[in-house]
Amino acid sequence: MSALLAADLAPFPVPSIEYSAISPLIAIFGAAVLGVLVEALLPRTARRPVQLVLTFGALAVAFGLVIWQRDTRATVLEGAVTIDGPTLFLQGTIIALAFVAALVMAERRVDVAGDDFAPRASALPGSDYERDLTRLGWLQTEVWPLLLFSIGGMVLFPASGDLLTMFIALEVLSLPLYLLTGMARRRRLLSQEASLKYFVLGAFSSALFLYGVALLYGFAGTVSLSGIAEALTDDAQQYGLVLGGTALVAIGLLFKIGASPFHQWTPDVYQGAPTSVTGFMAACTKVAAFGALLKVLFVALGGVRWDWAPMLWVIAVLTMVVGSIVAITQTDMKRMLAYSAVAQAGFVLVGVVAASPDGMAGTLVYLVAYGFASVGAFAVVTLVRDATGEATHLSQWAGLGKRSPLVAGVFALFLLAFAGIPLTSGFIGKFAVFTAGVASGAVALVVIAVVASAIAAFFYIRVILLMFFHDPAPDGPAVVVPSSMTTIAIAVTVAVTIVVGVIPQPLLALISDAGVFVR
Amino acid sequence: MLLLIAAQLVAALLAPALVRWWGPRAFFALALVPAATFGWLLAALPRLTAEGAVREQVGWIPTLRLDLDLRIDALAALMALLVTGVGALILLYSRWYFADEREGLGRYAFSFMAFAGAMLGLVVSDNVLLLYVFWELTTIFSYLLIAQYYDVRSSRRAALQALIVTTFGGLAMLVGFVLLGAVSGSYQLSYLVAHPPQGGVAVAAAVLLLLGVLSKSAIVPLHFWLPSAMAAPTPVSAYLHAAAMVKAGIYLIARMNPQFAALPVWRWSLLVLGAAGLLVGAWKALRQADLKLLLAYGTVSQLGFMAFSFGIGTPQAALAGVLLIVAHALYKSTTFLVVGAIDHATGTRDLRLLSGLGRRAPLLALAAALGIASMIGVPPLLGFVAKDAVYEAARGTLPAGPGPVVLVAVTFLGAVLTVAYGVRFWWGAFATWDPDRPEADRARPTHAVGRGIVAAPLLLALAGLGAGLTLPWLGPALARAAGTPELEVGLWHGIGLPLLASLAGLLGGAVLVVALRRRGAVRALVPEHLEAQAQYRRLMRGLDRVAGEVTGATQRGSLPFYLGAALVVLAALLLWVLLAGGRPALPGGWEPWDSPAEAWVAVLTVIAVVAAARSRQRLAAVLLVGVSGYAMVAIFVMRGAPDLALTQALVETCTLVAFVLVLRKLPKTIRHRHSGRQRARRLLIAIPLGVLVAVGGAVALGMRTAPAISERFPGPVYDFGGGRNIVNVILVDLRAWDTFGEISVLLAAATGVASLVFLRRPTGSPPQLDQNARRRTALPAQHRTFLRGGLAVAAENRSVVLELATRVLFPTMIVLSVYLLFAGHNVPGGGFTGGLVAGLALVVRYLAAGRYELGEAAPIDAGLVLGLGLLFAGGTGAAALLTGGAVLQSTIWTATLPLFGDVKLVSALFFDIGVYLVVVGLVLDILRSLGAELDRREESAGAAPNAGGEPAR
Repeated sequence: MSALLAADLAPFPVPSIEYSAISPLIAIFGAAVLGVLVEALLPRTARRPVQLVLTFGALAVAFGLVIWQRDTRATVLEGAVTIDGPTLFLQGTIIALAFVAALVMAERRVDVAGDDFAPRASALPGSDYERDLTRLGWLQTEVWPLLLFSIGGMVLFPASGDLLTMFIALEVLSLPLYLLTGMARRRRLLSQEASLKYFVLGAFSSALFLYGVALLYGFAGTVSLSGIAEALTDDAQQYGLVLGGTALVAIGLLFKIGASPFHQWTPDVYQGAPTSVTGFMAACTKVAAFGALLKVLFVALGGVRWDWAPMLWVIAVLTMVVGSIVAITQTDMKRMLAYSAVAQAGFVLVGVVAASPDGMAGTLVYLVAYGFASVGAFAVVTLVRDATGEATHLSQWAGLGKRSPLVAGVFALFLLAFAGIPLTSGFIGKFAVFTAGVASGAVALVVIAVVASAIAAFFYIRVILLMFFHDPAPDGPAVVVPSSMTTIAIAVTVAVTIVVGVIPQPLLALISDAGVFVR
Repeated sequence: MLLLIAAQLVAALLAPALVRWWGPRAFFALALVPAATFGWLLAALPRLTAEGAVREQVGWIPTLRLDLDLRIDALAALMALLVTGVGALILLYSRWYFADEREGLGRYAFSFMAFAGAMLGLVVSDNVLLLYVFWELTTIFSYLLIAQYYDVRSSRRAALQALIVTTFGGLAMLVGFVLLGAVSGSYQLSYLVAHPPQGGVAVAAAVLLLLGVLSKSAIVPLHFWLPSAMAAPTPVSAYLHAAAMVKAGIYLIARMNPQFAALPVWRWSLLVLGAAGLLVGAWKALRQADLKLLLAYGTVSQLGFMAFSFGIGTPQAALAGVLLIVAHALYKSTTFLVVGAIDHATGTRDLRLLSGLGRRAPLLALAAALGIASMIGVPPLLGFVAKDAVYEAARGTLPAGPGPVVLVAVTFLGAVLTVAYGVRFWWGAFATWDPDRPEADRARPTHAVGRGIVAAPLLLALAGLGAGLTLPWLGPALARAAGTPELEVGLWHGIGLPLLASLAGLLGGAVLVVALRRRGAVRALVPEHLEAQAQYRRLMRGLDRVAGEVTGATQRGSLPFYLGAALVVLAALLLWVLLAGGRPALPGGWEPWDSPAEAWVAVLTVIAVVAAARSRQRLAAVLLVGVSGYAMVAIFVMRGAPDLALTQALVETCTLVAFVLVLRKLPKTIRHRHSGRQRARRLLIAIPLGVLVAVGGAVALGMRTAPAISERFPGPVYDFGGGRNIVNVILVDLRAWDTFGEISVLLAAATGVASLVFLRRPTGSPPQLDQNARRRTALPAQHRTFLRGGLAVAAENRSVVLELATRVLFPTMIVLSVYLLFAGHNVPGGGFTGGLVAGLALVVRYLAAGRYELGEAAPIDAGLVLGLGLLFAGGTGAAALLTGGAVLQSTIWTATLPLFGDVKLVSALFFDIGVYLVVVGLVLDILRSLGAELDRREESAGAAPNAGGEPAR
């Protein structure tokens, strides 16, 4: 029943807690707990404004705290958490992305019935009860504490100093996501199915992760990342444990990343989840999971680089190729973006496979570029609607450029960024990882990545073609004018996509100043 | 220079507005921008000659070493002059070409200006990454330009095709550049040319760069996009497909040739593909009836010719290549613009329909004649000079290249075909075919060819003539551009092979034209399915099909399938680890079993598991799964761990009860059957994976190096925890924090289950628990019976034996549970186990006499029990603080009591009581929600079928 920890049984040292280093975490988790209390104690009508203030306030404060801590390089909480340059960068990225994504979640003008979430997720889809709630205009406010917990898990994920903390972070970030996935206001059954699939597969991957942790513990006698690294520097006799542990831990993380062949949940979940949540998930989960992957691979398992690099090599190829090719046939916008996310994960993996400081920097740049474009793209998807909700079928997007040139243009920008066209952020990301890949000798991988990019460009540009060079259907969907929430979100993502594409130097300098993970 | 490029881009942004205000006349203003650049370049020429090159550097992204690094040397200046000069003239031409068009003109003006800016940037970049950026920008703007008439389907397809092919090539080129940069440490083009890398890297880079070049410059086999791209407006074709964009690849060849000419792969590719392009393009040009398509294939042919020329590899060849670039830019844009004017005036480009145009538009005919003459190499035009230079170059060759005979023969053959299609072009466009028939039959009657529209082609044609005539002055500059200032460019080299071959080529071409006319239509020699275009289509279709099939095969939305796929990978990984993981040894001292009975238990488990998988009854399946749990109990017992066995048995039982409570509401049989093949597939995954996981686990145990943490437990368990039952002391003392967390989770889970089941309010306040289900129900007390709740059960459903047995068992079980709770610290038992026993006692009551009996047995709120439990556990922890210890630290009191003897009380007992209460509460909660509440609904649904699912209260 009880998990056995590796702590010494000798008189228990009182852990010293460096509050400043973990202050962003405290801000987010604190607000999340307060959010739960708000749900329990405040009258229903008062909850939403309070939750919004809590959420955005906590995120803003946490972002400020990350900036305040920017020079911290420390191992805190008895080694459970390590704060360093890349970690802080990842944390800042996650919080910023989450802030923007949360703006889209807070939107309540685009859907006549309210916001993106079912008024009560437990109500039977299509029941009178649900209809009554919708008629009364109930809004689900539990999503906010759930969101905060998830963000908290994500912020902790790359900061983990040992594998158990990482596992806890993994669960804390995942469980709320499973719930949020099932809360779409429209197409409830699809949403619930997605939630179930995500939960089952996610739980499975978590179990594998834990199994891997156990094997690594069996090898090193510790779950601490630096401890494992130290054990590896000794003569590695029990090589099999390391290999097995590495593989299983990597699988657990690759599941969250959505790398092939562990990507299959992605399209179903991205499609079923409320679109604003999909945007959040696509961006933040990926950043957090890649951060954790980098941390495990570079800090703990740098010594067996020659073993995991080939494995990731194969997975990167598979991910890029499968994602790009399968995306071609998709007829649903959200599913297409899901496969595009898979392909993008493959490109990011090129930077990881490079296994060099350049590769890591490239990965981080790519994540920023992809994350913002992703949130933006899904935000745009929420705006194109017909009477039944979002119009996600590709054919419904035909001629959008003529009806709403601005929205279509913005979407085209995101697609160009995904395709890696110069002067968008996507190019900088692709270029950075490809350069790192070539420099580390993975030329063949980069060539495959290039072929995959060309294929990916094909379907991105086909959508642009569809929007601008086709005539709109007479009964096609309309573009809804959102409130300032979504407008700000889209504006920010557009700005980041262009600015990172045109003047990326400040971002690149920030990343190179961030240096490498501390041990 | 940077300013000029920027000016171009700013003009592009302003262009739509200008076009809106001024209409097509805005093109005059726009033409000023490239014209100014042209002028600036001319003015800078003396300085260039003096200094060799003009540089301009502005930092942009130093981290990526992508900087605005511009360098104009002779070659760049030449290309820039072509790009801006021809660009300005074509903008002028556009003013008349688009005189009656308004729609889409703003977009055209924007794309054209932006394209011209990007093209200018491309030729003056000295940073290869910057070059790539401009390269991709030209691709994108060319896409917009080709798709100008986007309402035509073929136009969209052509644009997309051009985009895909050139984007792919561009990306390949980028990798080539990165490779070069990674090896030589610099992304500066001039540095790379000066310090060529060696070896395999150079070969790989050369191949990648060639991919870019081939795609951009439409060289066989990546040429097919160019003829399709003729869907673009003709001025666009004249610019992109004659002067500018397609030259980007050739420009890159000219740039890199000094570095790569030594590589056989580079030279041979250029020679072979160039020659193929030259001949195939020319042959196909000969077969076209559409003037514009004829020119397009002619361009493919000439681009191949340039590549071929550079491929020879000698300095003379490089010079010939540069001459070809210039000559081609001039005459091909001339002829394209002529076709545009014809199209504009007559509405057709079909040379079978046109007739008598030469008489009506003499100036146009003259421009075309000059252009064609240059193309087919009539002295003294520039085209002649260029062809002459190629012959000259073909006579000498590098070692390990093809012999001069082959080179000259290819050139000659190409020249003959070029003459043939050139003559056919002019003749078809301008000659008067059938003077008797009215022109109305042949072509739509339209307006005359305007004067303005002739100006640009005529100027370009005259430029070709002028260049030929002013060669003594121009020659040295062109030679410098080719990087061969020592060579002489002249119109007249005396009577030698080049001149004779040129003349023979003209003659041969003339003969071919006559021969073809006599034979009628030219028949296809190349079967259609071998054509690159068809291959491209097939590739794209194939991609679509593969995508569809992969999606169909892997993305079925089926959870078992997804899981299966992941499991297969897991199995493969485990296998790999076992094979690659070094010494796959089993731990020392392994033996099959302690006693042979264990083997029987294992066999029983296997049988039960197989039966469970095969069972069609849900309940039976669950019970069979339970067997494996009880088998574990047996193993624990045999291994001498009665405490674990007890706990396991109780947990297993409680789980079964919960299962049964839920399953009774589901159909009894599993109706969905998997086909034999499905099951075989699943077995194929399940069995190897099971074996691998088991073997992996065993091997992992054998490999562990760190000592097990449990070896250090016994001491502290007694010293600090004051107990001899290790399992229990771990739970309530050593790992009490964990336990506390876990019982909190348990509480949350129980509440969650209950709230889901009890949720049924349509609106209003949060769901409230039904009073009847959770509290005792007052029943008439006059009847004497074993279990009072049984009175509420229909008589035919009651079992007196069961009720009696329960009556007897219940108090016994409660006593047992309390004993387990108190004894647990030292002997098997503990709060958890005790709680489970008490819970089972409640289960028995419920099963024997239904939901009212549950209320009788436990007339309290389950939530209260749960909460009390947590309070106890937490309170114990906090109390330790009061006594000055750490949280959850145990205190041990010993005393001697009458009757009991020595009593040792450990504070952890209170914690254990908390655990006990939580477990009891949990079981009660499950019974109450999954049991009693579901019963109640069934009853009320049976009583009032019209209630519509909303139970009556």
